[in-house]
Amino acid sequence: MAGLPRRILKETQRLIQEPVPGISAVPDENNGRYFHVVIKGPAESPYHSGMFQLELFLPEEYPMSAPKVRFMTKIYHPNIDKLGRICLDILKEKWSPALQIRTVLLSIQALLSAPNPDDPLSNDVAEQWKANEQLALETAKEWTQKYAKDKKNNIQ
Amino acid sequence: MGNCLKSPNTDDISLLRGSDNGPEVVDPSAVHIGPPPPYQESVPIYHPSPNVSRPANQLTEDEQVKIAQRLGLIHHLPTGVFDGTSKKAKECCICMEEFLLGDMLRFLPCMHTYHKECIDDWLMRSFICPSCLEPVDAALLTTYETS
Repeated sequence: MAGLPRRILKETQRLIQEPVPGISAVPDENNGRYFHVVIKGPAESPYHSGMFQLELFLPEEYPMSAPKVRFMTKIYHPNIDKLGRICLDILKEKWSPALQIRTVLLSIQALLSAPNPDDPLSNDVAEQWKANEQLALETAKEWTQKYAKDKKNNIQ
Repeated sequence: MGNCLKSPNTDDISLLRGSDNGPEVVDPSAVHIGPPPPYQESVPIYHPSPNVSRPANQLTEDEQVKIAQRLGLIHHLPTGVFDGTSKKAKECCICMEEFLLGDMLRFLPCMHTYHKECIDDWLMRSFICPSCLEPVDAALLTTYETS
């Protein structure tokens, strides 16, 4: 943990002391800038009861540039592509150094509750989502059962 | 012998201990491993937007204009020294450190306050207040018009 900026140490400490409900973020023992994240699928979403693994990396420039976050668990979502990349404005052009690891993870949790097929990253999924939302929700539920219950199904 | 290439510290230590191998110990291979070309180090890195880093000599014309404008505008934003009298501003949300007496601060038109060093680093990337997302230059220009 030596050599990390004090802000990163502070954020890490707070994440451990006051964890966000439904989210766990643990720094890697060999790299304090790399976090192993698990987000619980929000209730009343097709991801309910799933445990989604993510990786979060704080680049050298952090907090001047956004953390890099990616889903490791396969997920059927119009704003998340098959490599686990997330389409979220605060991770790109809307990043601000006043945001924190905590706020980023909360935003991702909110994205699971409110998929936005009009701003897609995964075109196929977004199209299916818009064409037949009921079917898309069913697929999302199936994928949650299939992939978000077992760590072995992580995207490599 | 090979150890002396690992880090400057080991060199220092061996020098302090005194050299057993005679007064002139110069590893010939060390002479040829020169430092990187100095001109590369002297080119400052700019950030036309928060996630883009580019050496000054690789900026497009538009980006150069943008950065020159930012440099100019930053100087119009008031600065001050933290004297503990402000009850509102307690912590810089960029470095997450509390303001200490004597810290250099910069005040944005939206009334948000940061360490000068912290916010200047951000303003060179984006002219938006990190806290309220208010464009800093718009507020600045309005201030000019009304004053």
